[in-house]
Amino acid sequence: MDTRSVKQHYRKHRKAIIVAVSGILYAGGWTLGYVSTVDTASAAILVLAAIVGGYDIAKTAYHEVENRTLGIKTLVTLAAVGAIAIGSYWEAAAVVFLFTLGSYLEGRTMRKTRNALEELLEMTPDTATVRRDGEQRAVPAREVEAGEVVIVKPGEKIPVDGDVVEGESAVNQAPVTGESAPVHKADGDEVYAGTINQEGSLEVETTGSGTDTTLQRIIRRVEAAQEAQSPTESLIDRFAKYYTPGVLALSAGAYAATQNAILSLTLLVIGCPGALVIGPPVSIVSAIGNAARSGVLMKGGEHLEQAGKIDLVAFDKTGTLTKGETTVADVAGFDAEADEVLELAAVAEKKSEHHLGDAILEAAQDRPAAVTDGGTEAVQADTESAPGEARPVPDPESFEVIAGKGVVALYDGREIVVGNRSLLAERDIEVAEEVGDYVREREERGETVVHVVRDGVVVGAVAMCDELREAAPGVVQELQDAGIETVMLTGDNEHTARAVAEEVGIDDYRAELLPEDKQAVIEAFREDGHVVAMVGDGINDAPSLATADVGIAMGAAGTDTAIETADMALMADDLDRIPYAVTLSKATRWNIYENVGLAVLTVTLLLAGVLTSYVTLALGMLVHEASVLAVIGNGMRLLRY
Amino acid sequence: MSETQLRVMDFDCPSCASTVERALSNQEGVEDVEVHYSTGRVEIDYDDSVADPSTFEQTIENQGYTPQPA
Repeated sequence: MDTRSVKQHYRKHRKAIIVAVSGILYAGGWTLGYVSTVDTASAAILVLAAIVGGYDIAKTAYHEVENRTLGIKTLVTLAAVGAIAIGSYWEAAAVVFLFTLGSYLEGRTMRKTRNALEELLEMTPDTATVRRDGEQRAVPAREVEAGEVVIVKPGEKIPVDGDVVEGESAVNQAPVTGESAPVHKADGDEVYAGTINQEGSLEVETTGSGTDTTLQRIIRRVEAAQEAQSPTESLIDRFAKYYTPGVLALSAGAYAATQNAILSLTLLVIGCPGALVIGPPVSIVSAIGNAARSGVLMKGGEHLEQAGKIDLVAFDKTGTLTKGETTVADVAGFDAEADEVLELAAVAEKKSEHHLGDAILEAAQDRPAAVTDGGTEAVQADTESAPGEARPVPDPESFEVIAGKGVVALYDGREIVVGNRSLLAERDIEVAEEVGDYVREREERGETVVHVVRDGVVVGAVAMCDELREAAPGVVQELQDAGIETVMLTGDNEHTARAVAEEVGIDDYRAELLPEDKQAVIEAFREDGHVVAMVGDGINDAPSLATADVGIAMGAAGTDTAIETADMALMADDLDRIPYAVTLSKATRWNIYENVGLAVLTVTLLLAGVLTSYVTLALGMLVHEASVLAVIGNGMRLLRY
Repeated sequence: MSETQLRVMDFDCPSCASTVERALSNQEGVEDVEVHYSTGRVEIDYDDSVADPSTFEQTIENQGYTPQPA
C-alpha cells in the first residue's frame, strides 16, 4: 500500500478511526484511574481521548458559531470544554466518545436510508449497442440520440427509453413499475431504460437517453419528494431554531442560580435537539424510498402525512376498477337489422374519440362483410376476423358531441342520434317498452347501453361491457378492512353502476356523473369532513385528482404529466398497489408520531433526571444518543414495510 | 451562471446540513445553495467567472463532511 492509498483509506474511514482511537484512550484512561493512584496520568489520557474525539466536533462547532447556526456540536463542545475546565476529565472523555460513536452510527444508518434509491440508479447500463453506418457499435448510453436504434440482447438491461421496432421478448420492468412479473414486448411497445430484457433480442428506437429517461425522472421526482418538508418537519425546524439558544440560556441560568457547573453542563448535553429533528425526515425518506421501489411515487412529506389521514377512497370506474377495454357485447335491432344498427352507430361515432365510440367502431369494422341476421337477434362482435375483411365505415356528413350523453350526426341526409336515456329525453324521442326492457336487462348485467335513433325513431341499441379487473374486489375489501370507505364514480347510468358496484363489493357509488360532476362529488365528500383519495387515470380524471386531498394516478409510467402532477403515481397499471400505498402512508404518519413522542419523552425524562441529580453528564449523553439511534431505527422499519 | 451538484452521505443531523449550506453560500461567487439533509444532495448555483467549483468540496471537507460526486 503506498502513501496515497493509505491516505485515501484514512479519509474514507476517518470517522470510524476517530471513534476507535478515542474509545481505546477513554477505556485506557478510565482503567488506569481505576487501578492506579497516578491521577495525572489517567487524566492526561482522558483529556487526550476528548481531544482526539472532539477535534472534528469542535471544528464544526467553530463553523456553526461562525455561520450563526447554533447546533448540537456547539453544545457538545461547550459541555466537554466545561467539564475539562472543572476537572471532570472522565465526564469530558465519555461525552465526546459517546457523541462520536453515536454520530458515526447515525451517519451510517442514514446512509442506508439515503441509498435506497442508489440501487435504482445503478440499474441503467453505461454502454449501449447501436447501429451506426450499418454496423453495430458500443457507445456510452447517454450519448445515444433520439431516433437511433439500440440492440438489446437477451439478459441485458435496456440502456434507453424507446419503442420496440424489431423482435419480441419478456421484459422485467420492476425497476420502473415495481411489477415483478415480466411484461411481453413486441413491435411498437414502449420500453424503459433500466428494465431487463429476459428472453429475445430486441431492437429499440430511442426516444430518450441519459437524464431524459423515465427512470431518471422517477429518481429526480423521488428525491425532490424526500427533500420537501412535511408540515411536522417545518414545525419542528422552526421550533429548533429557538430551541438551541433556549438550552444555552437555560444552562447559563441554572449555573447562575445554583453555581453547579456539572448541572448546567449536563443540561447542555441533554438539551441537544437530536431525536426530535431527525425522526420525521427519517420516517419520510424511508417511506418514500420504499414506495419508489414498489412502483409508487409519492410527492412528498406533506402529501404523505395527508395520505395518512385518508378515510375515503373514490375510484373512477372505467379503466380503474375495470380494465378500460370496452367491447361490444351485444347489438339489438328493433326497427332495423342489428347489422345496420351497428353500422349506423359506427358512422355517428366515427369521429367522437369516446371510448364507447371506439368500441362500436371497432366492432363494426371487425365484422365480416356478409353478416346478416334476422330482426332483433343479437350479433356477437367478432374481433378475431382478419383485417382483410374489415369493412370501411363511411364518414358522417356532420357530427356533434353532446358531452356525457352521446352524439348527433347527419348521414345520408338522415339524422342519427346515438346516446343514453337523457339524450333521448332531451330530444323528446319516444322509447318503446320493448327497447326499455332490453336496455334495463343489459344494464343489470353491468353493461353500458346506447340507443341508436334514426330520424327520431329508436331503431336499435348497442350494449357494451368493460370487464372488471381481477384485483378490484380484493382491493376494495382490503381498504374496507383498513377502515376506509370506498366509493365508485361513473358516468354510467344507475342500473349499470349498481350492478358493477355489487360485483366489486364497494360501499357506495355515484352514477350518471359528467366529468365535472366527479369533481363536485369529491368536493362534497371533503365538505362532509372526509379526507378523500381519488384513484383515476391521471389524464381524463386530472381535475378530480387535483380536487381530492390525495390524487392517485394509475399506470403513470407512460405519462409524464401524471408523474409530475399526481400526489401519488402508480407506475404500473396495477390496482393492487392502492391498499399498500394507503396503509404505508398511515404507517408513516404513525411512525412520525412515535418518533416525535419518543424524542419528547426522552428529553422530559432526562430533564427530570438532571434536576433530581439522577442523570450525570455521561449518562445524559448515552441516553440522548440512544434515543437518536432508536428514532432512526424506528423510521427505517418503513424501508421494509 | 453555472450549477453543480455534490452529495454528502455522512450528515448526521439536519443542522449539520444547514451549517454546510451557510458555509457554501458565504463563499464568493456562490449565488444559491441548497443542502438537503434527507438525501444528502448539495445543489450550488454559482457565477463561474468568480467562484471555482473545485473549492466547494474543500469547503464541505472543512466543515467535517465528506463530499462525493452526485
